[in-house]
Amino acid sequence: MIKIAPAELKLISQYIQTITGIYLDQSKSYLFETRLSSIAETHGCKSYQELHTKARQDPSKKIEKEIVDAITTNETLFFRDKGPFELLQHKILPEIIDARSTKSPIKPRIKIWSAASSTGQELYSIAIVIKELLNGTSNYSFSLSGTDISDAAVAQASYGKYNRFEIERGLDRKYLQKYFTLFGDSWKIKDEIRAMVNFRKLNLMQPFTALGKFDIIFCRNVAIYFTLADRKKLFNKIADSLSDDGYLIIGSTESLTGVCPRFVPKRHLRSIFYQKK
Amino acid sequence: MKNLSILVVDDDPVIRHLLEQRLKKENYKVQVAEDGYVAEKMLRSNQYDIVLTDLMMPGDIGGIEVLDIAKEINSHIEVVLITAHSSVDTAVAAMKKGANDYLEKPINFDELFLRIDKIANIQTIFRSAQDLQMAMDTTENVASSTIQTLEMRVANLQESLDKVETTLRDGQLPDDSKIHTALEIIAES
Repeated sequence: MIKIAPAELKLISQYIQTITGIYLDQSKSYLFETRLSSIAETHGCKSYQELHTKARQDPSKKIEKEIVDAITTNETLFFRDKGPFELLQHKILPEIIDARSTKSPIKPRIKIWSAASSTGQELYSIAIVIKELLNGTSNYSFSLSGTDISDAAVAQASYGKYNRFEIERGLDRKYLQKYFTLFGDSWKIKDEIRAMVNFRKLNLMQPFTALGKFDIIFCRNVAIYFTLADRKKLFNKIADSLSDDGYLIIGSTESLTGVCPRFVPKRHLRSIFYQKK
Repeated sequence: MKNLSILVVDDDPVIRHLLEQRLKKENYKVQVAEDGYVAEKMLRSNQYDIVLTDLMMPGDIGGIEVLDIAKEINSHIEVVLITAHSSVDTAVAAMKKGANDYLEKPINFDELFLRIDKIANIQTIFRSAQDLQMAMDTTENVASSTIQTLEMRVANLQESLDKVETTLRDGQLPDDSKIHTALEIIAES
């Protein structure tokens, strides 16, 4: 494994922050080494300085993509912490359906965004909740988008195949049987759920107004890796992308206090969601 | 006693006995089944870490079926198939279905113990990952309930502050009345 020199830490840390928004503590040199060493070796670099130069000069951005995939964590589960999904099922979806159905004679379209969709578990969980709630009726049309900075994560999410470690925790047996097919040693999401969602690559550090406005945004456990300044920018942009009566759900240990005054927290049972002031 | 329990399934009494003796000598907890039917009963009533099963056995429950049953009962059970050289293809197909490994007959015991050690290591890592996960979940639950309470409290205080500000800036009210109202808002917050 190539050792990272003290002088390289600042350079690499800043580079990673620029391309991903993720702020890595410079005292944790092992983090850089375990995640980047093999990439450096593959590209014939003897130091991280050299990798940095090569990555920046690479017009295909291949090395940059590899670094993004290596740095971003894809720890995610189906129905990761039940709260947000109960909130969605019992409070947010009924409210938004109610609000939208009275406004327009045409089939209302409800747009949901999983802003850091990782390998897709969150968005598929949302799709399952909707499928269960609507129970075959189709008076509403749903648009479910997932975005992530990592190409590898987007590819896995689109494929919808998970090994038993990825699937076992969090997912009810009844949902597993109903919405997944055994595929060798893995489980693959069924087409009826797969067809409800779409995934694409997006860097949250860049503008995303092109995505349009959403009624429900999930942005959980991603901003925790950002600096406060970047977090402020992100949630301000999210506020711009949320419809006036829309709902924002963040990670259960995250807070918007001192981050974005445009949002007010609201409590429902054991969960909190945010709406615009 | 090593902390692993192993179920040996083989219809050949000689091999079954040999495996039982050798594994016991290495201090594993060992139980044996003489065919797939007995194995199924034992799998349903006892806890095992590893199943060591012959691939070809008489009756409808062969090694592949034992594998399916074991994985259905507990997906964390590791299954090692014992196979004749001629059935290696079947064994490889079985590995795609979740078998951990296979061993060719005649059994090389050094190789067997190596495989078992490897499984034991993986299971230890798996358990410690589960322990860490549990610790993380607990921490996360406690932290989230604290943070949520604070988040709501701060939002309520901010609301009160805004009301106090509006009251104090109100040009229509006399000063003592403003102070009185402001104090009431603070008292209610």
